[in-house]
Amino acid sequence: MEYEPKIVAFLCNWCSYAGADLAGIGRIQYPPNIRVIRVPCSGRINPLFIIKALRLGADAVLTSG
Amino acid sequence: MLQMSEKPAKVGAVLVVGSGIAGIQASLDLAESGYYVYLVEKNSAIGGIMPALDKTFPTNDCSMCILSPKLVDCGRHLNVNTITNTEVLDIQGEPGNFKVTLKQKARYVDPTKCTGCGSCSEQCPVKVPDEFNQRLNNRKAIYKLYAQAFPNAYAIDPTKCLRMKKPKACGKCLQACQAGAIDHTMTDQIMEIEVGSVILCPGFEKFDSSQLAYYGYGKHPNVVTSMEFERLLSASGPFGGHLQRPSDGKEPHKIAWIQCVGSRNCRIDRGYCSSVCCMYAIKEAEIAKEHSPYPLETAIFFMDMRTYGKDFEQYYHKAEHEVGVRFIRSRVYEIVEAGDGSGNCRIRYADDAGNITYEDFDLAVLSIGLDPPADMIELAGKLGIKLNKYNFCQSAPLTGVGTNRPGIFVAGAFSSPRDIPETVMQASAAAADSAAGLAEVRSTLTKIKEYPSEIDVAGEIVRTGVFVCHCGINIGSVVNVPSVAEYARTLPTVVFATDNLYTCSQDTSAQIKDAIREHNLNRVIVASCSPRTHEPMFQETLKEAGLNPNLFEMTNIRDQCSWVHMHEPEKATEKAKDLVKMAVYRAALLEPISSVSLDMNHDALVIGGGVSGMTSAVNLSKQGYKVFLVEKADVLGGTANRIRYGMNGEDIPAFVSNLINQVTTDEKITVYTGVEISDVHGFVGNFETTISSGEVLKHGVTIIATGADEYKPTEYLYGQNDRVITLLEMEALLAEVDNKVRDAKNIVFIQCVGSREPERPYCSRICCTKSIKQALLVKEANPEANVYVLYRDIRTYAFYEELYTEARRKGIIFIRYELDNKPVVEAADNGLKVTVTDHVLGIPIEIEADLVALASAVMSPRENNSKLSQFYKVPLNQDGFFLEAHMKLRPVDFGTDGVFMCGLAHGPKNLEENVNQAKAAVGRACTVLAKNTITVEGKSAFVNKNKCTGCGECENVCPAKAVQVDPEQRVAVVNDALCKGCGACASSCRCGAINIKGCTNQQLVAMLDAL
Amino acid sequence: MSKLAEQIKGAAKKLLTEKKVDLVVGFTEGSLPLRGTPFFARTPEEADQLTWNLDCENNLANYLRKKPGKVAVVAKGCDVRSIVALIKENQLNRDNLYIIGVPCRGMIDRRKVAELLSGQEVLAIEENGDTLVIKGNNSSVTAKVADLLHNSCRDCSYGNPVIYDELIGELLPEKEAADFNEIKAFEAKTTAERRAFMNSEFSKCIRCYACRNACPMCYCEECFVDCNQPEWIGKSAYNVEDNILFQVVRVFHLAGRCVDCGACERACPMGINLRLLTRKTVKDVKELFNAEAGVNLEDKPVLATFTNDDPEAFLLKE
Repeated sequence: MEYEPKIVAFLCNWCSYAGADLAGIGRIQYPPNIRVIRVPCSGRINPLFIIKALRLGADAVLTSG
Repeated sequence: MLQMSEKPAKVGAVLVVGSGIAGIQASLDLAESGYYVYLVEKNSAIGGIMPALDKTFPTNDCSMCILSPKLVDCGRHLNVNTITNTEVLDIQGEPGNFKVTLKQKARYVDPTKCTGCGSCSEQCPVKVPDEFNQRLNNRKAIYKLYAQAFPNAYAIDPTKCLRMKKPKACGKCLQACQAGAIDHTMTDQIMEIEVGSVILCPGFEKFDSSQLAYYGYGKHPNVVTSMEFERLLSASGPFGGHLQRPSDGKEPHKIAWIQCVGSRNCRIDRGYCSSVCCMYAIKEAEIAKEHSPYPLETAIFFMDMRTYGKDFEQYYHKAEHEVGVRFIRSRVYEIVEAGDGSGNCRIRYADDAGNITYEDFDLAVLSIGLDPPADMIELAGKLGIKLNKYNFCQSAPLTGVGTNRPGIFVAGAFSSPRDIPETVMQASAAAADSAAGLAEVRSTLTKIKEYPSEIDVAGEIVRTGVFVCHCGINIGSVVNVPSVAEYARTLPTVVFATDNLYTCSQDTSAQIKDAIREHNLNRVIVASCSPRTHEPMFQETLKEAGLNPNLFEMTNIRDQCSWVHMHEPEKATEKAKDLVKMAVYRAALLEPISSVSLDMNHDALVIGGGVSGMTSAVNLSKQGYKVFLVEKADVLGGTANRIRYGMNGEDIPAFVSNLINQVTTDEKITVYTGVEISDVHGFVGNFETTISSGEVLKHGVTIIATGADEYKPTEYLYGQNDRVITLLEMEALLAEVDNKVRDAKNIVFIQCVGSREPERPYCSRICCTKSIKQALLVKEANPEANVYVLYRDIRTYAFYEELYTEARRKGIIFIRYELDNKPVVEAADNGLKVTVTDHVLGIPIEIEADLVALASAVMSPRENNSKLSQFYKVPLNQDGFFLEAHMKLRPVDFGTDGVFMCGLAHGPKNLEENVNQAKAAVGRACTVLAKNTITVEGKSAFVNKNKCTGCGECENVCPAKAVQVDPEQRVAVVNDALCKGCGACASSCRCGAINIKGCTNQQLVAMLDAL
Repeated sequence: MSKLAEQIKGAAKKLLTEKKVDLVVGFTEGSLPLRGTPFFARTPEEADQLTWNLDCENNLANYLRKKPGKVAVVAKGCDVRSIVALIKENQLNRDNLYIIGVPCRGMIDRRKVAELLSGQEVLAIEENGDTLVIKGNNSSVTAKVADLLHNSCRDCSYGNPVIYDELIGELLPEKEAADFNEIKAFEAKTTAERRAFMNSEFSKCIRCYACRNACPMCYCEECFVDCNQPEWIGKSAYNVEDNILFQVVRVFHLAGRCVDCGACERACPMGINLRLLTRKTVKDVKELFNAEAGVNLEDKPVLATFTNDDPEAFLLKE
């Protein structure tokens, strides 16, 4: 089976999450490996979230804001 | 019977015409201040020009990113009635009581039914050039103006729709629309509304550059307008943000901008400066360079670089010296095809020294000017609104926002070309002035929604209901929606799960409420589109069903799933299931959040008794609020006491004394002179400010209007020779027609004294216009005198350009000098000798001057400002002026709630602009003062006292200054009124002692656990 | 040294007699050589037991939090830096603290001493200026003090207390800041090599949390590792991944706050090279922000302060 990485993304509600919405509106196709968690601000992303995600088996974590 | 002659009661509603950023801002300010707003827009969606811009100067923020929260706020506001596709036909009546006739054109789509899914547009066979994208690509005959448009609904272009022409010809959209929103039989409607005042903010039109054949627009495919270039840069533009020539798709390596296309040109009746083009050209050049993965050459052909706004000069400096944009001072004669088969543009121009030469570019961008809105000419005629000779609105002198017709106000580019922050400022000012006349009917027409009392879910077993949306075919055609709903049923806590065609439709909303009742749901999850657009709507449904809105969780399986994985239905379905699982896990930990209410003091403190402060005080008093006006000096008036002539010839001493009179006789205003601020406690709604007399003032809001100083030059013999004076000193000589002026043979004005230099890198904005105004007064008093203006760039923006034109016509001599070769002023027998190197001749010229006037900088009183900055926890910029919350959209606000600013404290501005900003500060302050209590959503930080060590990390990182460590108890304490819920504290807290309601560590980790 | 000890005793007695303080925290002789022990003197008589030696290695800042009344502390350079850092984090009240500053040339590492004696028990130590005579069962070795210092002391350029109320002894000449050669060498390794090193190093960890307890800056009421809601990382020592994450996060929490006193490494019963991690953050903070922890009372907390010239090295820009 092909390697299917699991990617967790923490996205700021005001910019990156909106950007992900816009990608949808523009029908920009990308691989379905990402699971987005919406946060009120990139400042909300506790470094421990990243560690926890990796510890739970995420192959990568994207933070954006 | 007694005859009662009563004036008809005023109407507590306001009409706002035009829904660009000015209309949106004015509407929001008014609606938040207790007035019902009719926001009328001729297009099918609100937003105006801003959505079409890529980035905005000087912060290079994405235009749409900063606008969209305001779009959503405005669109969803209970007290803003947005009426699209509509024009104003007539306005009758008097201030306080206008009757307005509106004509709403048929949209052919019912916006209450349309979900904005776009299926209709996909099926529509008719392609139409997309105006939003400057006709660079096509849209369909059924279309949404732009992706993030509000209303999020489609509209039919009746001139292009096949079915409108021939009912049997088409109808594909009807089949595609599963919401039944389309109706080709709709007709135009005439409506009448009653309002108390009117704000006109119809914006501007683009100058049509095909009028100037020599630039080759329309003939040469690689000459584009600046608006077209914005769309070329934009990620949502015709080429997805890939920078290419629209003609042949080639990536340009060399781009030129041509300034003043349709501006500063008397021959085509555009004798004004469009004010914004210099900055947007620099921005476009910068962003283009950022965009291209290869080195991109950029050049801007200009006459005077007019970067006069706050931080603009620094932006220009950076573009030239760090980004590497080339600035060519020149006159462009024509743009022709290079003729070598490259399709390149050959720009023929005369350089600074007058040499005619040419250079080839891959692409030429015309920095087109701002024209007045054509359709306002007729309406203005009908309404009796006076326009100026260019058909912009002729605003009433020194009002900032007044028209000649009382009760009708103006904001934005219709009053004169201006940029976004000035437009926003003026919109808030117009809101303040239009509300000032309606204070007695405030909150008479605004609506408040009532909800059933909340069901107590504490201690209940979690019972989750899941609603999965097909969104017509938008989700359902990719994701197997029924299987997602079925999967949801297997998840812990889920007692009910279903799928809906459109979860957002009215009938589904009723179904959700029924399900809540029937299944005793205490958590609700919707898997559909973006929470950014739909979460508030679903939360509303919960409130109507008696559930706390924070027991709701939404997950996005459309924009971030079906739409972006269209060719992988199985994986998309798996992802949708995962997303639902994450939502379910998180929802189980959600708790009700109650909003927090705090008392509100309705008095205002205005610091500074100059024109700005007094204008604020007077306007606040008109709105019915008590004001404390604190002035450091012993007299009111500030810098304006030294100004005699307005930029348009107004009598300033009369204006100032009238203002002082108003302030001192107004019962609601308490004036304190000769006192300073010595201590400040509290926060929005509850400030306690101690003044140096020892008195403690309690107030709800603060307006900082502390003004600025005139720079005392150390150069050009100032202070050593009494023939060298500053502009403010010149003002006095002119008023007295002093001998120094009357007998002078030669008078020299020197510009940029202490401005645009390393020590003070900003432009002082007002000096060019003021100098020219004074030069003209000199000519009036002493026509024989030779008047010289030594300058670096003449920055007579907007209609002040006419003064510059007049000055040249009257023989005032303008000589440009370079920063590295400044004029030299020396004492000579019977006068002064000024030596300056002429930029055309390149040789030094000696002027025997009798009087030298120095345009000295506007300088921030740094010490005073930094004291206030600490007291009110508000920042200063590097030049010592107060720094606003956002340079573009919050020009009078601070990040700290309840504190506002205006006037020279914010940065250099002329008197009229200060009046404007002073009213704007009031407009913003009233949104706070109008509230009975300070109510916050409650999604704020909270502290676990057992874990908190009081280390202060949260206090340090909090951008809202909402957390402080209690020194006694040694624990952090959150001020709910100030907390924005960003969570920076929770992420920084090593001890895990601080968390965010509705977004706790546990809730977020639960989502990870679900993976 | 004994002269300093006498002066410390004198100062402590005076403070306690005059009731200027309720407690003096200092050192007393250990039951074995090289085992100087923290000591709490509450009466002038108890102050007689205070001493000062080359084995006063504990960071006494660790004993000052939540002490009622006025407290005096015998503090060497690193102790004072920790005190400064703790004052800035509201953990100590400067007004209730009396700092008896003692300039310090470094404390000696008994592991290095033990190596010299090939593992023999150390029976006595004689100080002799720059050299030491170490006596074992039937041997004695003379060594330079400088060669026996703790690595943290060797790298320390803040032997002089940065603040104090009273100084014992003379201020030492300025010492040049040490290089970061070990850190650079570690950084130069490949990811795989670093990973292998971390795995081998942290397979030793028994999760006794001595490092955390020895560190004056690790004062959370509940360490993230003990948190159950949510449980951030596993608590078992058998999982090397979790051991690494524990240390990585602990060190991350210390970034910009660690004064590089070396207490964690000295406390570790398994000999894990903990200072490699803490010192890496010291280097990064110095390089990125030109900041050092606890060197004055004025500097703002480096990782909680934003300036326009922030290097923003972590940002991926468009």
